[in-house]
Amino acid sequence: MDDNLELPTATPKPEASQDREEEEQSSGDEDQGPDWTKIPGLNVARPVIPKRGEKDFEPTAQGGSGLQRHVLDRSRSAMLEALKATRTISHKSVSHAIWYPQLKRAHVTVARGIHFSTMGHSVARASAESEGAKKVQKRLELLPEEALYLVERGAMYCWEPTDLPLHHTVHLDDMEGVPMSVQQAYAEMIGADELTFERYQVYAYLRRLGYVVTRTKPPSPDYPVPPPFPSVTRASASIVNRLLNTVTSFLSRFVRIFTGGRDWWRPICFSRWLHYNMTNKSLFKSLRFLPSGYDVPLHVQRAPEAPPTPYQIFYNLYKPSTPFKKTAPPLPDFSVVVVNARTTPMPTISELTDLFGELPELPPPAPRKRMSFSQQKQASASAPQSKQTAPQDPVLQPWSFRRSLAWIWPLSQTNENAKTPARPTNPFPSLKTGKKMVVVAAVDAGTISFFRFGQGVFTEWPMA
Amino acid sequence: MSLITPTRHKGSQKGGARRAENNRIYAHPLPLVFSAPEPHSKFGHVLGLFGPNTRLENPHCEGIFDPATRSVWVTNEKDSMILWRRGFFGKGNLSRSEPSWLARQINARKAAGKYMTSEEIREKRRAERKQFKMDRAAAIAKAAAEAEAAFAEGREAGPAFIPSGATWKPQPSSELSLPSEPPEDQSMDVAEELEPLEDVEHLQLTLQEAFFLIWNLDCLTVLDPHTHEPMSLREIWQTFQDVHCITPGLPVYAHRFDNPFLVNYAAYHYYRSLGWVVKGGIKFCVDLLLYKRGPVFHHAEFAIVVIPVYEDPADKESSPFNLPNADTFSWSWLSTINRVNAQVQKTLILTYVTIPAQSRVSADLLSSPACLAHYSVRDVVLRRFIPARMRD
Repeated sequence: MDDNLELPTATPKPEASQDREEEEQSSGDEDQGPDWTKIPGLNVARPVIPKRGEKDFEPTAQGGSGLQRHVLDRSRSAMLEALKATRTISHKSVSHAIWYPQLKRAHVTVARGIHFSTMGHSVARASAESEGAKKVQKRLELLPEEALYLVERGAMYCWEPTDLPLHHTVHLDDMEGVPMSVQQAYAEMIGADELTFERYQVYAYLRRLGYVVTRTKPPSPDYPVPPPFPSVTRASASIVNRLLNTVTSFLSRFVRIFTGGRDWWRPICFSRWLHYNMTNKSLFKSLRFLPSGYDVPLHVQRAPEAPPTPYQIFYNLYKPSTPFKKTAPPLPDFSVVVVNARTTPMPTISELTDLFGELPELPPPAPRKRMSFSQQKQASASAPQSKQTAPQDPVLQPWSFRRSLAWIWPLSQTNENAKTPARPTNPFPSLKTGKKMVVVAAVDAGTISFFRFGQGVFTEWPMA
Repeated sequence: MSLITPTRHKGSQKGGARRAENNRIYAHPLPLVFSAPEPHSKFGHVLGLFGPNTRLENPHCEGIFDPATRSVWVTNEKDSMILWRRGFFGKGNLSRSEPSWLARQINARKAAGKYMTSEEIREKRRAERKQFKMDRAAAIAKAAAEAEAAFAEGREAGPAFIPSGATWKPQPSSELSLPSEPPEDQSMDVAEELEPLEDVEHLQLTLQEAFFLIWNLDCLTVLDPHTHEPMSLREIWQTFQDVHCITPGLPVYAHRFDNPFLVNYAAYHYYRSLGWVVKGGIKFCVDLLLYKRGPVFHHAEFAIVVIPVYEDPADKESSPFNLPNADTFSWSWLSTINRVNAQVQKTLILTYVTIPAQSRVSADLLSSPACLAHYSVRDVVLRRFIPARMRD
């Protein structure tokens, strides 16, 4: 788990933070079925999020037990009741939109509810009514996945324009067109504007969890995009790095002139003079002479007639806690690639290298703080304030910058260390996170597996 | 140096003392030891600034190449102990990791139960765990029967006590004794009756480990299996590649950059040079496991899958070696590996080793280890991403 993501939550949960390390990769609660007895069945417009429970029934050698059968029957009937309930929505809170198949957009005519603070974008379109003077008007439009999500949720009524004469309906007389069913919306909107079924499933799943999901590649020029990832890291570090590189390369060339290059039958030299003051650390350092890491050029050839790679970042993901402004979206928290797990093999190293090339360097994970229970409680109580400032700038202290400057400050650091014996930085959070990260959602017939591929930093954190 | 002390105190000591003992025994990360002699006077100290004040101690171990098992056998007990204790190289052929067969036999005969080898500790732990599971299953069954009876009578069942890993303690009086404890009255004369024990175990080094020790550290001599003469580095370089060829010398095998020995060596050297202790990972569906200081100190933190990448797809077509993982594996297999390793708290690393294209790099380089400079190693960290837990 990212340590910088381990901000204290609003509710004090001491045991959760302790178990997190063990729990984090286990299947956990999200894979279980809902406890239907907790879902109220009929006449409820807003369903309650179900809580997960224990298993009600386990087959035993002696056959079913009366108690288990009773519990199971109760759950089963509760599920049927819940599914039988008619999903309703008040016409005062439902939104309305018109789906234009040619535009592949849904024009929102009546916007109600909170959804539109994070969904839809405004587009200037020439309105059809005034034919003489083409009037350009801004209007709110939804991408296919946004429209489909709202229709499926029961939060929006979608209409399709038609040439047929329409009957007059109460409440709906201002709508031009025929209403679309959910099935029809699925049939028309999947496939529109690069929206595959897998991508919609990932979109809907993440939206339901509260994430804000936007397209990475703008589907039209009107679509608001976040600013490009800052390349500060390279620029600021380059002066020091370049200086360092020139000095070291000069030195190594100088040495090579005198030693006549590396003897490949004896790569490590233990001459009487050169191992003067040699230590295990310097021996390990001299062992690192084979090329490794992402700075080495990748010579993998690509077939010229190869089809375009499916590994393109498709969605930008924002955590629910990230302040999101629709017209000026901030930098995304995660970048998501969606693939079909049945037809797409795992990414190759070339595809991964290309993906990492587009992504920013993550800040080094914050060290995990050892806290007592009372401290944890306090921290979680004051979390809402600190949360505002913490995730603001992810590139404030870029990785390579800090690391490249570390050799300048050894004196000041030793002074500090003399006062408070600071622990050396734990390399494991960095090694387990990687420097850059891309999320791949592999969708197998509706089951989504999310994996994070991190650019390894083993070369930067040697153990000796 | 107290490296060759045959006494084994493991298991008989508590945490801190054992850790200090391990720190002493396994103080050196590599078989080569740099020792700085104590400066006797100020004069000596000044001299030390000019002359070499670090002395290099090279153990010069000896092993014999075994083509059938594709390994190098170190039969000398002293050498195998040095290689194991300084850098955890190799594995005892009759043991889980450290060659401890002889010590186990001696324990079984004399000091039964007094000192325990790691294998015996493991056996004890497994027996205890089995007992715990049986106790827990019994408690669950009892609670279920109680609840059933209560349901039949139409009343609520009382709370049941089910032991968990935290609350369950092994009974001291149970029959969980050591598997190899002889009866008290016999133990006196058993040792005299039996013939003296001979250490039949050897330390086996993988070819990667052996070549790392020979090539970089020059602390291992490998004998030819037929002539028992020391092999030259050139012979070793050729032989270690030839063992992967069904009939060595065929033109198919000539000038191949994708010889499994070369690919595996590139990955092995990469992690060894970064200071990791590298062991095999077949138990966890992976190729390698990385330990921070060594298996006696920590559990392995990382599980490595070595994925060869051909720079030129044509080389893959013409390859006589069917390199594992050269084809991208499916998502289901990735999930399988990742689940297995997440279960044991290891992070999965995909290590991509690029194989130089024959069109780019001259095949002449294969005659010496110089070709290794044209391979490159990249690692990718793989973990599950769980959106439900990342919301903050």
